[in-house]
Amino acid sequence: MTTNESAEDLVPTSNDRSFLMGPMLRDLAVLTLISIPLQLIATDLSLGAVVAGLAALYALCVAGLVITKYAPFYLPSVAWISLVGIVLTLPFMPWFEWFNGLVVGIDFLALAVPPLAYAGLAISDLELNVMRRSGWKILVIATLVFTGTYVGSAAIAEFMLWLTS
Amino acid sequence: MEALKTLVRLWPIHLIVLVTSVVAQFIGVRAIPIGIGTILLLPLLFVFVFTLLLNPNVIKPIGRVLSTKRVAAASPLIVIAIMPFIAKFGTTIGPSIEEVVEAGPALLLQELGNLGTILLAFPVAIWVFRMGRESIGAVHSIAREPNIAIIADRYGLRSPEGTGVMGVYVMGTLFGTFVFAIIASLLATNGVFSVDALAMACGVGSGSMMAACSGALAEAVPGSTDSITALAGASNLLTYATGMYVSLFIALPLVERMYLRIRPDDPENPRARTTEEPVR
Repeated sequence: MTTNESAEDLVPTSNDRSFLMGPMLRDLAVLTLISIPLQLIATDLSLGAVVAGLAALYALCVAGLVITKYAPFYLPSVAWISLVGIVLTLPFMPWFEWFNGLVVGIDFLALAVPPLAYAGLAISDLELNVMRRSGWKILVIATLVFTGTYVGSAAIAEFMLWLTS
Repeated sequence: MEALKTLVRLWPIHLIVLVTSVVAQFIGVRAIPIGIGTILLLPLLFVFVFTLLLNPNVIKPIGRVLSTKRVAAASPLIVIAIMPFIAKFGTTIGPSIEEVVEAGPALLLQELGNLGTILLAFPVAIWVFRMGRESIGAVHSIAREPNIAIIADRYGLRSPEGTGVMGVYVMGTLFGTFVFAIIASLLATNGVFSVDALAMACGVGSGSMMAACSGALAEAVPGSTDSITALAGASNLLTYATGMYVSLFIALPLVERMYLRIRPDDPENPRARTTEEPVR
Protein backbone atom coordinates (compact mmCIF):
# COMPACT_ATOMS: atom_id res chain seq x y z
CA MET A 1 0.00 0.00 0.00
CA THR A 2 1.59 3.23 -1.10
CA THR A 3 0.61 6.59 0.27
CA ASN A 4 -2.02 8.51 -1.61
CA GLU A 5 -0.69 11.32 -3.73
CA SER A 6 -3.45 12.39 -6.06
CA ALA A 7 -7.20 12.34 -6.32
CA GLU A 8 -6.96 9.34 -8.64
CA ASP A 9 -5.52 7.29 -5.78
CA LEU A 10 -8.72 7.83 -3.86
CA VAL A 11 -10.73 5.96 -6.44
CA PRO A 12 -11.16 2.59 -4.84
CA THR A 13 -9.89 -0.34 -6.79
CA SER A 14 -11.49 -2.91 -4.53
CA ASN A 15 -14.15 -3.75 -7.08
CA ASP A 16 -11.98 -5.99 -9.17
CA ARG A 17 -11.58 -9.67 -8.58
CA SER A 18 -7.83 -9.93 -8.77
CA PHE A 19 -7.59 -10.05 -4.97
CA LEU A 20 -5.45 -12.79 -3.47
CA MET A 21 -7.57 -15.35 -1.69
CA GLY A 22 -4.97 -16.28 0.94
CA PRO A 23 -4.31 -12.85 2.49
CA MET A 24 -7.99 -11.98 2.15
CA LEU A 25 -9.09 -15.00 4.17
CA ARG A 26 -6.36 -14.37 6.74
CA ASP A 27 -7.41 -10.74 7.28
CA LEU A 28 -11.04 -11.81 7.41
CA ALA A 29 -10.12 -14.33 10.14
CA VAL A 30 -8.32 -11.66 12.19
CA LEU A 31 -11.33 -9.34 11.88
CA THR A 32 -13.66 -12.15 12.92
CA LEU A 33 -11.55 -12.73 16.05
CA ILE A 34 -11.84 -9.03 16.93
CA SER A 35 -15.63 -9.39 16.79
CA ILE A 36 -15.71 -12.08 19.50
CA PRO A 37 -15.37 -9.76 22.53
CA LEU A 38 -17.74 -7.25 20.88
CA GLN A 39 -20.44 -9.89 20.49
CA LEU A 40 -19.92 -11.05 24.09
CA ILE A 41 -20.54 -7.48 25.25
CA ALA A 42 -23.48 -6.85 22.92
CA THR A 43 -25.39 -10.12 23.36
CA ASP A 44 -26.27 -12.67 26.04
CA LEU A 45 -24.74 -15.48 23.98
CA SER A 46 -22.17 -17.88 25.41
CA LEU A 47 -18.62 -17.84 24.06
CA GLY A 48 -19.34 -21.05 22.16
CA ALA A 49 -22.46 -19.61 20.52
CA VAL A 50 -20.60 -16.43 19.52
CA VAL A 51 -17.74 -18.38 17.98
CA ALA A 52 -20.16 -20.64 16.11
CA GLY A 53 -22.17 -17.69 14.81
CA LEU A 54 -19.12 -15.75 13.68
CA ALA A 55 -17.68 -18.91 12.10
CA ALA A 56 -20.90 -19.33 10.13
CA LEU A 57 -20.68 -15.71 8.91
CA TYR A 58 -17.01 -16.29 8.04
CA ALA A 59 -18.03 -19.28 5.95
CA LEU A 60 -20.66 -17.16 4.17
CA CYS A 61 -18.03 -14.53 3.35
CA VAL A 62 -15.62 -17.17 2.02
CA ALA A 63 -18.36 -18.61 -0.18
CA GLY A 64 -19.21 -15.12 -1.46
CA LEU A 65 -15.55 -14.36 -2.20
CA VAL A 66 -15.07 -17.62 -4.09
CA ILE A 67 -18.13 -16.86 -6.21
CA THR A 68 -16.92 -13.29 -6.81
CA LYS A 69 -13.65 -14.65 -8.13
CA TYR A 70 -15.00 -17.38 -10.36
CA ALA A 71 -18.51 -16.29 -11.39
CA PRO A 72 -18.97 -15.84 -15.16
CA PHE A 73 -20.00 -12.19 -14.62
CA TYR A 74 -18.87 -9.54 -12.18
CA LEU A 75 -20.79 -8.45 -9.10
CA PRO A 76 -19.15 -6.80 -6.09
CA SER A 77 -18.15 -9.27 -3.38
CA VAL A 78 -20.58 -7.67 -0.91
CA ALA A 79 -23.45 -8.42 -3.30
CA TRP A 80 -22.45 -12.09 -3.63
CA ILE A 81 -22.01 -12.39 0.13
CA SER A 82 -25.52 -10.98 0.66
CA LEU A 83 -26.97 -13.38 -1.89
CA VAL A 84 -25.29 -16.41 -0.32
CA GLY A 85 -26.61 -15.28 3.08
CA ILE A 86 -30.14 -14.94 1.69
CA VAL A 87 -30.17 -18.29 -0.11
CA LEU A 88 -28.80 -20.23 2.87
CA THR A 89 -31.44 -18.83 5.23
CA LEU A 90 -34.54 -19.25 3.04
CA PRO A 91 -37.18 -20.85 5.30
CA PHE A 92 -37.73 -23.87 3.05
CA MET A 93 -34.07 -24.93 3.01
CA PRO A 94 -33.56 -28.27 4.82
CA TRP A 95 -30.80 -26.80 7.00
CA PHE A 96 -32.79 -23.66 7.86
CA GLU A 97 -33.35 -24.40 11.55
CA TRP A 98 -29.71 -25.32 12.10
CA PHE A 99 -28.07 -22.53 10.12
CA ASN A 100 -30.42 -19.74 11.14
CA GLY A 101 -30.00 -20.86 14.74
CA LEU A 102 -26.26 -20.27 14.43
CA VAL A 103 -26.41 -16.69 13.14
CA VAL A 104 -29.71 -15.34 14.47
CA GLY A 105 -28.33 -14.26 17.84
CA ILE A 106 -25.35 -12.33 16.42
CA ASP A 107 -25.76 -8.59 16.95
CA PHE A 108 -25.56 -6.73 13.63
CA LEU A 109 -24.76 -3.36 15.14
CA ALA A 110 -21.69 -4.71 16.94
CA LEU A 111 -20.49 -6.18 13.62
CA ALA A 112 -20.50 -2.66 12.17
CA VAL A 113 -18.07 -1.35 14.80
CA PRO A 114 -14.73 -2.71 13.47
CA PRO A 115 -15.28 -1.41 9.89
CA LEU A 116 -15.82 2.10 11.23
CA ALA A 117 -12.75 1.74 13.44
CA TYR A 118 -10.60 0.94 10.40
CA ALA A 119 -12.31 3.74 8.49
CA GLY A 120 -11.28 6.27 11.13
CA LEU A 121 -7.66 5.14 10.93
CA ALA A 122 -7.70 5.10 7.14
CA ILE A 123 -8.59 8.76 6.72
CA SER A 124 -5.59 10.14 4.85
CA ASP A 125 -3.96 13.49 4.38
CA LEU A 126 -5.43 13.58 0.92
CA GLU A 127 -8.97 13.25 2.20
CA LEU A 128 -8.38 15.93 4.79
CA ASN A 129 -7.01 18.20 2.07
CA VAL A 130 -10.09 17.62 -0.07
CA MET A 131 -12.20 18.47 2.96
CA ARG A 132 -10.32 21.69 3.63
CA ARG A 133 -10.40 22.72 -0.01
CA SER A 134 -14.11 21.95 -0.41
CA GLY A 135 -14.99 23.80 2.76
CA TRP A 136 -18.18 23.99 4.70
CA LYS A 137 -20.34 24.58 1.64
CA ILE A 138 -19.69 21.06 0.39
CA LEU A 139 -20.47 19.76 3.86
CA VAL A 140 -23.86 21.48 3.70
CA ILE A 141 -24.43 20.13 0.19
CA ALA A 142 -23.43 16.61 1.28
CA THR A 143 -25.85 16.76 4.20
CA LEU A 144 -28.64 17.87 1.84
CA VAL A 145 -27.70 15.10 -0.61
CA PHE A 146 -28.01 12.45 2.12
CA THR A 147 -31.18 13.93 3.60
CA GLY A 148 -32.71 14.21 0.13
CA THR A 149 -32.10 10.62 -0.87
CA TYR A 150 -33.29 9.33 2.51
CA VAL A 151 -36.49 11.35 2.66
CA GLY A 152 -37.11 10.80 -1.06
CA SER A 153 -36.82 7.03 -0.74
CA ALA A 154 -38.88 6.95 2.47
CA ALA A 155 -41.66 9.04 0.88
CA ILE A 156 -41.91 6.78 -2.17
CA ALA A 157 -41.80 3.64 -0.02
CA GLU A 158 -44.48 5.05 2.28
CA PHE A 159 -46.73 5.90 -0.67
CA MET A 160 -46.26 2.47 -2.24
CA LEU A 161 -46.95 0.68 1.06
CA TRP A 162 -50.12 2.73 1.44
CA LEU A 163 -51.10 1.98 -2.16
CA THR A 164 -50.56 -1.77 -1.88
CA SER A 165 -51.94 -2.32 1.60
CA MET B 1 7.07 -15.72 5.68
CA GLU B 2 5.49 -12.90 3.73
CA ALA B 3 2.21 -13.50 5.54
CA LEU B 4 3.97 -13.31 8.88
CA LYS B 5 5.56 -10.00 7.93
CA THR B 6 2.20 -8.52 7.03
CA LEU B 7 0.72 -9.63 10.32
CA VAL B 8 3.60 -8.05 12.23
CA ARG B 9 3.19 -4.85 10.24
CA LEU B 10 -0.56 -4.73 10.85
CA TRP B 11 -0.77 -5.70 14.50
CA PRO B 12 -0.73 -2.13 15.92
CA ILE B 13 -3.71 -1.30 13.71
CA HIS B 14 -5.63 -4.40 14.74
CA LEU B 15 -4.82 -3.72 18.38
CA ILE B 16 -6.10 -0.14 18.18
CA VAL B 17 -9.26 -1.37 16.47
CA LEU B 18 -9.78 -4.06 19.12
CA VAL B 19 -9.34 -1.71 22.07
CA THR B 20 -11.36 1.22 20.68
CA SER B 21 -14.14 -1.13 19.53
CA VAL B 22 -14.43 -2.74 22.94
CA VAL B 23 -14.59 0.68 24.62
CA ALA B 24 -17.22 1.88 22.15
CA GLN B 25 -19.25 -1.28 22.63
CA PHE B 26 -19.16 -0.81 26.40
CA ILE B 27 -20.43 2.76 26.02
CA GLY B 28 -23.31 1.31 24.00
CA VAL B 29 -26.19 3.33 22.58
CA ARG B 30 -26.79 6.79 24.01
CA ALA B 31 -30.02 8.66 23.42
CA ILE B 32 -30.14 12.46 23.26
CA PRO B 33 -33.71 13.79 23.27
CA ILE B 34 -34.16 17.01 21.34
CA GLY B 35 -37.42 18.80 20.65
CA ILE B 36 -38.37 17.11 17.37
CA GLY B 37 -37.30 13.59 18.29
CA THR B 38 -34.37 11.66 19.72
CA ILE B 39 -30.85 11.43 18.37
CA LEU B 40 -29.27 8.03 18.93
CA LEU B 41 -25.51 7.84 19.25
CA LEU B 42 -24.29 4.37 18.31
CA PRO B 43 -21.08 2.47 19.17
CA LEU B 44 -20.06 2.65 15.51
CA LEU B 45 -20.08 6.44 15.69
CA PHE B 46 -18.07 6.49 18.91
CA VAL B 47 -15.42 4.17 17.54
CA PHE B 48 -15.06 6.24 14.38
CA VAL B 49 -14.38 9.34 16.47
CA PHE B 50 -11.89 7.43 18.65
CA THR B 51 -9.84 6.15 15.73
CA LEU B 52 -10.01 9.53 13.99
CA LEU B 53 -8.43 11.03 17.11
CA LEU B 54 -5.71 8.34 17.02
CA ASN B 55 -5.07 8.94 13.32
CA PRO B 56 -1.68 10.66 12.82
CA ASN B 57 -3.06 12.45 9.74
CA VAL B 58 -5.68 14.13 11.89
CA ILE B 59 -3.75 14.65 15.13
CA LYS B 60 -0.16 15.34 14.08
CA PRO B 61 1.67 14.48 17.36
CA ILE B 62 0.35 10.90 17.14
CA GLY B 63 2.76 10.51 14.21
CA ARG B 64 5.63 10.10 16.68
CA VAL B 65 4.26 6.76 17.88
CA LEU B 66 2.14 5.69 14.92
CA SER B 67 3.36 6.55 11.43
CA THR B 68 1.02 7.68 8.68
CA LYS B 69 2.44 4.89 6.52
CA ARG B 70 1.28 2.31 9.04
CA VAL B 71 -2.30 3.57 9.24
CA ALA B 72 -2.53 3.67 5.44
CA ALA B 73 -2.72 -0.12 5.64
CA ALA B 74 -6.09 0.22 7.38
CA SER B 75 -7.76 1.31 4.15
CA PRO B 76 -8.10 -2.09 2.41
CA LEU B 77 -9.24 -3.62 5.70
CA ILE B 78 -12.47 -1.57 5.77
CA VAL B 79 -13.96 -3.52 2.86
CA ILE B 80 -12.99 -6.82 4.49
CA ALA B 81 -14.32 -5.76 7.89
CA ILE B 82 -17.71 -4.91 6.40
CA MET B 83 -18.12 -8.41 4.90
CA PRO B 84 -19.32 -10.30 8.04
CA PHE B 85 -21.76 -7.43 8.61
CA ILE B 86 -23.11 -7.77 5.08
CA ALA B 87 -23.29 -11.55 5.54
CA LYS B 88 -25.34 -11.10 8.71
CA PHE B 89 -27.69 -8.79 6.82
CA GLY B 90 -28.15 -11.41 4.14
CA THR B 91 -29.15 -13.94 6.78
CA THR B 92 -31.89 -11.61 8.04
CA ILE B 93 -33.37 -11.28 4.54
CA GLY B 94 -33.75 -15.03 3.93
CA PRO B 95 -36.10 -15.82 6.86
CA SER B 96 -38.19 -12.71 6.07
CA ILE B 97 -38.32 -13.41 2.35
CA GLU B 98 -42.14 -13.37 2.26
CA GLU B 99 -42.25 -9.94 3.83
CA VAL B 100 -39.56 -8.68 1.47
CA VAL B 101 -41.36 -10.02 -1.61
CA GLU B 102 -44.63 -8.52 -0.35
CA ALA B 103 -42.87 -5.17 -0.08
CA GLY B 104 -41.45 -5.71 -3.58
CA PRO B 105 -43.15 -2.83 -5.41
CA ALA B 106 -42.29 -0.38 -2.66
CA LEU B 107 -38.72 -1.68 -2.51
CA LEU B 108 -38.24 -1.34 -6.25
CA LEU B 109 -39.77 2.09 -6.68
CA GLN B 110 -38.07 3.63 -3.66
CA GLU B 111 -34.82 3.17 -5.58
CA LEU B 112 -36.00 6.18 -7.58
CA GLY B 113 -35.94 8.06 -4.30
CA ASN B 114 -32.19 8.14 -4.78
CA LEU B 115 -32.91 10.98 -7.21
CA GLY B 116 -33.79 12.89 -4.05
CA THR B 117 -30.09 13.73 -3.81
CA ILE B 118 -30.82 16.39 -6.43
CA LEU B 119 -34.04 17.72 -4.92
CA LEU B 120 -32.68 19.67 -1.96
CA ALA B 121 -29.00 19.94 -2.75
CA PHE B 122 -29.09 21.22 -6.34
CA PRO B 123 -31.09 24.42 -5.72
CA VAL B 124 -28.93 25.27 -2.72
CA ALA B 125 -25.71 24.61 -4.65
CA ILE B 126 -26.84 26.75 -7.60
CA TRP B 127 -28.75 29.63 -6.07
CA VAL B 128 -27.48 29.89 -2.51
CA PHE B 129 -23.81 28.96 -2.88
CA ARG B 130 -23.45 30.04 -6.54
CA MET B 131 -21.44 26.92 -7.26
CA GLY B 132 -20.39 26.07 -10.80
CA ARG B 133 -20.26 22.74 -12.56
CA GLU B 134 -18.92 21.07 -9.42
CA SER B 135 -22.56 21.05 -8.31
CA ILE B 136 -23.25 18.44 -11.03
CA GLY B 137 -20.75 16.01 -9.54
CA ALA B 138 -21.79 16.88 -6.02
CA VAL B 139 -25.54 16.30 -6.19
CA HIS B 140 -26.07 13.58 -8.84
CA SER B 141 -25.72 10.77 -6.27
CA ILE B 142 -24.56 10.01 -2.74
CA ALA B 143 -21.03 9.91 -4.19
CA ARG B 144 -19.95 6.43 -3.25
CA GLU B 145 -17.38 4.41 -5.15
CA PRO B 146 -19.42 3.48 -8.26
CA ASN B 147 -20.53 7.10 -8.67
CA ILE B 148 -16.94 8.35 -8.51
CA ALA B 149 -16.11 5.88 -11.23
CA ILE B 150 -18.90 7.31 -13.42
CA ILE B 151 -17.75 10.90 -12.94
CA ALA B 152 -14.09 9.96 -13.41
CA ASP B 153 -14.98 8.21 -16.62
CA ARG B 154 -17.02 11.06 -18.08
CA TYR B 155 -15.31 14.21 -16.84
CA GLY B 156 -12.07 13.11 -15.16
CA LEU B 157 -11.48 13.69 -11.49
CA ARG B 158 -9.54 16.94 -11.97
CA SER B 159 -12.54 18.59 -13.62
CA PRO B 160 -15.01 20.77 -11.67
CA GLU B 161 -17.46 17.83 -11.69
CA GLY B 162 -14.71 15.65 -10.25
CA THR B 163 -14.03 18.16 -7.50
CA GLY B 164 -17.72 18.11 -6.63
CA VAL B 165 -18.06 14.35 -6.42
CA MET B 166 -14.84 13.99 -4.43
CA GLY B 167 -15.96 16.67 -2.00
CA VAL B 168 -19.21 14.88 -1.22
CA TYR B 169 -17.38 11.53 -1.16
CA VAL B 170 -14.98 12.76 1.49
CA MET B 171 -17.69 14.50 3.52
CA GLY B 172 -19.73 11.28 3.30
CA THR B 173 -16.76 9.25 4.49
CA LEU B 174 -16.22 11.62 7.41
CA PHE B 175 -19.77 12.56 8.38
CA GLY B 176 -22.14 10.26 6.44
CA THR B 177 -22.72 7.81 9.29
CA PHE B 178 -23.55 10.68 11.65
CA VAL B 179 -25.95 12.29 9.19
CA PHE B 180 -27.79 9.02 8.58
CA ALA B 181 -27.94 8.07 12.26
CA ILE B 182 -29.36 11.48 13.09
CA ILE B 183 -31.97 11.70 10.31
CA ALA B 184 -33.07 8.09 10.85
CA SER B 185 -33.45 8.43 14.61
CA LEU B 186 -35.28 11.75 14.29
CA LEU B 187 -37.72 10.45 11.66
CA ALA B 188 -38.27 7.20 13.56
CA THR B 189 -39.08 8.95 16.82
CA ASN B 190 -41.35 11.67 15.44
CA GLY B 191 -43.63 9.32 13.53
CA VAL B 192 -43.89 11.03 10.12
CA PHE B 193 -43.05 7.83 8.21
CA SER B 194 -43.68 4.18 9.02
CA VAL B 195 -40.72 2.14 10.19
CA ASP B 196 -40.92 -0.14 7.14
CA ALA B 197 -40.59 2.81 4.78
CA LEU B 198 -37.70 4.24 6.77
CA ALA B 199 -35.97 0.85 6.79
CA MET B 200 -36.20 0.56 2.99
CA ALA B 201 -34.79 4.05 2.61
CA CYS B 202 -31.71 2.99 4.60
CA GLY B 203 -30.36 0.95 1.71
CA VAL B 204 -28.40 3.70 0.01
CA GLY B 205 -25.59 1.53 -1.30
CA SER B 206 -23.05 2.20 1.43
CA GLY B 207 -22.51 -0.44 4.08
CA SER B 208 -21.54 1.91 6.89
CA MET B 209 -24.32 4.43 6.20
CA MET B 210 -26.86 1.60 6.09
CA ALA B 211 -25.44 0.30 9.37
CA ALA B 212 -25.81 3.67 11.07
CA CYS B 213 -29.26 4.19 9.60
CA SER B 214 -30.78 0.79 10.36
CA GLY B 215 -29.00 0.65 13.71
CA ALA B 216 -30.61 3.90 14.76
CA LEU B 217 -34.01 2.64 13.56
CA ALA B 218 -33.64 -0.67 15.39
CA GLU B 219 -32.76 1.15 18.60
CA ALA B 220 -35.62 3.62 18.20
CA VAL B 221 -38.23 0.91 17.51
CA PRO B 222 -37.17 -2.10 19.57
CA GLY B 223 -38.92 -5.30 18.59
CA SER B 224 -38.87 -4.56 14.86
CA THR B 225 -35.16 -5.28 14.42
CA ASP B 226 -35.72 -8.30 12.17
CA SER B 227 -37.97 -6.57 9.67
CA ILE B 228 -35.82 -3.42 9.74
CA THR B 229 -32.63 -5.28 8.88
CA ALA B 230 -34.39 -7.45 6.29
CA LEU B 231 -35.91 -4.47 4.46
CA ALA B 232 -32.80 -2.30 4.76
CA GLY B 233 -30.59 -5.15 3.62
CA ALA B 234 -32.81 -5.98 0.66
CA SER B 235 -32.96 -2.34 -0.36
CA ASN B 236 -29.20 -1.96 -0.03
CA LEU B 237 -28.64 -5.03 -2.17
CA LEU B 238 -31.01 -3.58 -4.78
CA THR B 239 -29.04 -0.35 -4.71
CA TYR B 240 -25.81 -2.25 -5.36
CA ALA B 241 -27.53 -3.60 -8.45
CA THR B 242 -29.47 -0.55 -9.65
CA GLY B 243 -27.75 2.46 -8.06
CA MET B 244 -25.12 2.83 -10.71
CA TYR B 245 -27.69 2.72 -13.51
CA VAL B 246 -30.05 5.19 -11.86
CA SER B 247 -27.11 7.51 -11.42
CA LEU B 248 -25.69 6.97 -14.94
CA PHE B 249 -28.87 6.97 -17.03
CA ILE B 250 -31.26 9.14 -15.04
CA ALA B 251 -29.64 11.31 -12.38
CA LEU B 252 -26.55 12.51 -14.19
CA PRO B 253 -28.26 13.38 -17.52
CA LEU B 254 -31.00 15.10 -15.51
CA VAL B 255 -28.62 17.30 -13.47
CA GLU B 256 -26.53 18.00 -16.57
CA ARG B 257 -29.63 19.25 -18.42
CA MET B 258 -30.88 21.27 -15.50
CA TYR B 259 -27.48 22.92 -15.22
CA LEU B 260 -27.26 23.74 -18.93
CA ARG B 261 -30.76 25.21 -18.77
CA ILE B 262 -29.97 27.40 -15.76
CA ARG B 263 -26.40 28.38 -16.67
CA PRO B 264 -26.23 28.18 -20.48
CA ASP B 265 -23.33 30.65 -20.58
CA ASP B 266 -20.96 28.94 -18.15
CA PRO B 267 -17.64 28.86 -20.06
CA GLU B 268 -16.92 25.53 -18.37
CA ASN B 269 -19.84 23.89 -20.17
CA PRO B 270 -18.73 21.33 -22.75
CA ARG B 271 -18.74 23.23 -26.04
CA ALA B 272 -20.00 20.49 -28.33
CA ARG B 273 -23.12 20.00 -26.27
CA THR B 274 -26.17 22.21 -26.36
CA THR B 275 -29.39 21.93 -24.43
CA GLU B 276 -30.99 20.36 -27.48
CA GLU B 277 -28.56 17.54 -27.87
CA PRO B 278 -29.30 14.49 -25.76
CA VAL B 279 -26.69 14.07 -23.11
CA ARG B 280 -25.37 10.58 -23.28
